[in-house]
Amino acid sequence: MKIISKDDFTDFLNALIGDDSWNVIGIKSKGSKFAFGPLESAEELRLDYDVSLLPPKKYFFPQRETLFTYDLSEGFSTKNPEEPKPMVIVGVHPYDIVALLHMDEIFRETKSDPYYFKKRDASIIIGVNIQRISKWNFSSFMGCDVIDYGYDLMLTDLGNRYAINVGSQKGGELLSKYGKNVTAALARDIQIAGQKKREVMGLSQQKFDFPPELIPELLKDSYTKSGFWEKHSEKCLACGSCVLVCPTCYCFDVKDNPDLSLGHGERIRTWDGCLLEDFAKIASGENFRATRPTRYRHRYFKKGKYLFDRFGFISCVGCGRCSSNCLPDIANPVNLLNDMYHESINSGSQIAASTTEPDVNIQTEGNIDYVPKLATVIKKQPMTSNEILFEIRLDGGSELGHKPGQFVEVSVFGIGEAPISLSSSPTKKETFELCVRKLGNVTTKLHKLDVGDKVGIRGPFGNGFDVNSLTGKDLLFIAGGLGIAPLRSLFNYVLDNRKDYGRVFLLYGCKEPKELLFGDELAESTSRGDVEYKSTVNWCPENETWTGNIGVITTLIPQVSFDPERTIAILCGPPVMYKFVIADLKAKKVHDDHIIMSLERRMKCGVGKCGHCQINHLFVCKDGPVFNYSKIKGSPEAL
Amino acid sequence: MKPKVAFFDFAGCEGDQLQVANLEEDLLALLGQVEVVSFREVMKGHSDNYDIAFVEGSCTRLQDEDRLKQIRKNAKLVVAIGSCAAIGGINSLKNYKDLDSVKKVVYGESGKLFDSYAARPIDAIIPVDAYVYGCPIEREDFLHVVKSLLLGKKPEIVTYPVCVECKKNENVCAFERGQFCVGTVTRAGCNSCCINEGTICWGCRGLVDNPNENSHKEVLIKYGLTVDDAIGKFKLYFGWQEAKR
Amino acid sequence: MKKSSFEVDVHHVTRVEGHGNIYVSINNGAVSKCEWSIPEAPRFFEAMVVGRSWSELHHITSRICGICSIGHTLASLKATEAAMGISISEQDLKLRKLALHGENLQSHLLHLGFLVLPDLLGVGSVVPLVSTNPDEVNTVLRLHRTANEMSNLICGRTTHPQRLMPGGFSKIPSIKELLALRKKLQDSIPSIQAVVELFKSLAVKLPNFKRETEFIALTDPSEYALYDGKIASSDTGSAPAKEYLAYTNEYIVPHSTAKWAKHVRESYMVGALARLNINYKRLSPIARETADAFNLLPMCYNPFMNSIAQLVEVVHSVEDSIRLINELEVAGLKSQPDYNLPTVKVKAGAGVGAVEVPRGILFHDYNYNEKGICTKANCIIPTNQNHGNIQQDMNALVPQIVNKSQKEIELTLEMLVRAYDPCISCSTHVVKIR
Repeated sequence: MKIISKDDFTDFLNALIGDDSWNVIGIKSKGSKFAFGPLESAEELRLDYDVSLLPPKKYFFPQRETLFTYDLSEGFSTKNPEEPKPMVIVGVHPYDIVALLHMDEIFRETKSDPYYFKKRDASIIIGVNIQRISKWNFSSFMGCDVIDYGYDLMLTDLGNRYAINVGSQKGGELLSKYGKNVTAALARDIQIAGQKKREVMGLSQQKFDFPPELIPELLKDSYTKSGFWEKHSEKCLACGSCVLVCPTCYCFDVKDNPDLSLGHGERIRTWDGCLLEDFAKIASGENFRATRPTRYRHRYFKKGKYLFDRFGFISCVGCGRCSSNCLPDIANPVNLLNDMYHESINSGSQIAASTTEPDVNIQTEGNIDYVPKLATVIKKQPMTSNEILFEIRLDGGSELGHKPGQFVEVSVFGIGEAPISLSSSPTKKETFELCVRKLGNVTTKLHKLDVGDKVGIRGPFGNGFDVNSLTGKDLLFIAGGLGIAPLRSLFNYVLDNRKDYGRVFLLYGCKEPKELLFGDELAESTSRGDVEYKSTVNWCPENETWTGNIGVITTLIPQVSFDPERTIAILCGPPVMYKFVIADLKAKKVHDDHIIMSLERRMKCGVGKCGHCQINHLFVCKDGPVFNYSKIKGSPEAL
Repeated sequence: MKPKVAFFDFAGCEGDQLQVANLEEDLLALLGQVEVVSFREVMKGHSDNYDIAFVEGSCTRLQDEDRLKQIRKNAKLVVAIGSCAAIGGINSLKNYKDLDSVKKVVYGESGKLFDSYAARPIDAIIPVDAYVYGCPIEREDFLHVVKSLLLGKKPEIVTYPVCVECKKNENVCAFERGQFCVGTVTRAGCNSCCINEGTICWGCRGLVDNPNENSHKEVLIKYGLTVDDAIGKFKLYFGWQEAKR
Repeated sequence: MKKSSFEVDVHHVTRVEGHGNIYVSINNGAVSKCEWSIPEAPRFFEAMVVGRSWSELHHITSRICGICSIGHTLASLKATEAAMGISISEQDLKLRKLALHGENLQSHLLHLGFLVLPDLLGVGSVVPLVSTNPDEVNTVLRLHRTANEMSNLICGRTTHPQRLMPGGFSKIPSIKELLALRKKLQDSIPSIQAVVELFKSLAVKLPNFKRETEFIALTDPSEYALYDGKIASSDTGSAPAKEYLAYTNEYIVPHSTAKWAKHVRESYMVGALARLNINYKRLSPIARETADAFNLLPMCYNPFMNSIAQLVEVVHSVEDSIRLINELEVAGLKSQPDYNLPTVKVKAGAGVGAVEVPRGILFHDYNYNEKGICTKANCIIPTNQNHGNIQQDMNALVPQIVNKSQKEIELTLEMLVRAYDPCISCSTHVVKIR
């Protein structure tokens, strides 16, 4: 521990501010509150603050950020944003530092986010121990009120001087370079520092009625608590305030912003929030979390259970910002969880913390790349009035190299990006096929493209089908409507490797005959002799001809005889289909882990970060889109 | 082929058309992408052959309806610009007053010279393809809609309230300053410009699609507004939308 | 001389704000009918504000006009402040004067560049000028942009300004920002001089028409009155603003949804020409030189010269803004809280606010009860006050040009209306239903 007088600290800061190679950010007053902003002089610093309006996360994961700019005028070129200038952030409270450590792990998991880390690596955090505590703060319960790691320098106010703990090499170097008259701490300094910290934390007005370690189990027990979530979310204004001010929230949206010439523009990402009405809405209009109680509940579960299971921390540092910003006062986790605890105890539940800690294993396989590769439309084949089959080749001769069941993010620059399943098998090498339904802005524009036009492709994403686990088995494909598109990638793969598999059945249903996709191709497959194919329509209008089965897809299941022990059922179709098909399969004694399905959600980033495709603890883009039923049957948001 | 655009105005202050003129250099860029065939405030000459019609101002009398229907017939796309055209705007304040006006609606066209009825947005008379909300419109918002239409895409309309933008802009909430704001139920897209300038949101962009009005009114009263004043706040811009709900 | 019979029927005059119609009927070379009429839809603002709170009135009345919304807001605030005895600081007074200059600049430049210039260059709008006279168009756009940036800096926004409120400002610029503005204004002077030169070369195209009339404007012994002053008439003397009704005398005209006004003659004129005629001696130095260069001296009775008077005022507003910023710099800018809300002691009262907006003198007159709720309101718009004068001018002008072609008569009459820079939707803010 070191000591520096307050005057010398002022000089230290002013020296930093005067040195043009640093952006010096500090906590300043704003109205009757406080906010981090650029410091013009050390006088502006308010280390005696209680909490900042927005957490310092905004410097590493900004409200709005350009991912890249594109220029279509000469072919296609992109430019990445400039390197960030080194910055020093002065006055960060311990709970906000811990929040940054949460964000570090989240942004590093699976694929690392270069935009975040470039700024993080170029910055120095000078923390300060809490001198004044907001009445909503409960960071001591979350273990974040006092820390001994995560900062470069940490200040404690001792009256006429600061105690400084050096937390890293670059912190020490900064102090040596710009600080004068820095001495070693005396014994009394250590004791005074300790007393001051304890004093402040004793002033917290929030209190959990139970040990916070119980939170994950308590939540697990309360997912379907009758009326509980409705009661607590009744006054929710869907304003998003609770998540937008949160230091550990990281959901975002990505959109294109063309300029007026339409020839160039930028792709930007902006903060988003799961409490907002349209967060889980897809182009077809379906909203997977349409009601306030479901969205309200999701926030608590993501922070208190799903992230806990993945990273071992409850993703809340007790800063109290959500509580203070919620106008109807329903966002305070302490109130909600206390209420939940008392209700559980009163109803006789036994809640005990799990005896095993989650297994945390953060692997990073390279950086996320948000910049698409350019590709060309080779062929365009209308299939129905709403769907077109595109054949696409990546420019530069590289192969997509996808697995059946994966998807790509298709960009039409200026309009946006949409996730489309791959419809062709990877055995077809130089090109790949996408069956596109005209629904939203991107797909409508895709339909207007011609052969030779360019699109952007990112991916392939998703887990795809585990073809090895299917070898030697009988395969029962069940497709509804557009669901045939992703299944075709596996179906064709199987046909190209036919001897590796047992019997193959394909059941396909649509609303009416004119909606049938790949109809001729599938009918032809029966001529091979090693595939059983049956199709059905819900009804046949008068002006169309249909000689096949009439009825919903489940009416086909009794028409095939298969051995449930040897058969794996592979499903894809509209959300409403799954429940009924699964029920009929289980009636036929098909085991839960013999049922595989491909699900759809709003996949924006494709790498499990933006939050839009999350269903309970799973990310459809990363943990899916292919799921084994036994793995998701416990997830109420899945089906 | 540059699309042909035309500007029309009804009962309004022409502030939104002024905002288009206020695009300054962007106006020249805009003129590079479209052909203006009718903009009475700025040019002589008018053509009935236009693809996109921008309409400002509310419909406040029967004779406006025919003009609107003619515009709808001529145009492929009709865009309502400004709150008066999009949601009724401040004009709808009068809908709560003046029994004479109400009588006019009931009795029809008497007092022909000064005929007037409840102010209404233009989509009460004709179908509208896109909206630019705000009193006045934000220039960026207008350009966003224009760019979307030029790209052949449906302009995204934000469905969340002003709070989202206000929090991102790190404002001190109006309620914390002893003032009363309707931003919690007002459609965002303005980048919380008024709170950024130190005041409150007055609701000029209209209600969000599914506002939790009861909760918001409770918040207003909890923070000290009387019931009448809370209801009065909703009448400023939400007059038509409230009447419809 | 051919004696002809025809009609000039201009439905919705172009390049003016709002909807106005010109109808002239000529029979055998003699004028049988000449009418300036307003079909604009009335909007009932004076009825809408009754029952609303003192804290809201300026926000609502700003929406009377998109172009002079700063002027309406200021007149409204002055009326409320007069009614409740609220005073503002010296600093806020200077900032409000800057706000009005910003509006004057923006409005005059738009009028001169987009609405009047096409007539003088013989085209239908500014659009073809983009290719034929790109330098001039760019100069006007650049100056217009500086004017808007000025309004944005002081008021938050040109149209429907947010920062103006009873008792002061919710937010003020920093001294750094004001000094940067001053530099921009100083740098704009060469561009303004270029515009002056352009109009000098084109001024000969303005019709040489003269008709004696009365002029009414604010006046003040210490400066060219825009924000504060007494009402002055070129025919009679001056009086405090609250006696405005004696001057305006609004009355209803059958062919117009807007009311008309008159004082000691059949009609009177307000606007830049009126201000210049009454306050010429208090123009800033270069503005005075500019007026002299056009031979624009009191009393000028040619309404077409209103546009030139506006050009002179552009020069004056730039010079005077620089002076105001100099004064703020010397006095030192006093800071205020980030989200300022001036405290107001609410009480019953009545007050009048008079302000010169680009188009002329504007009055807002409010009555409040003890709870600060508005019980009565009256707004007299500059363009209302000009409608009568436009009609009288037309009556005098048409016989003088009756032998010209129909197209020329139409253009001349349209130019006459445009010279007044009318704001017609403002002027039809209220109608009392019979």
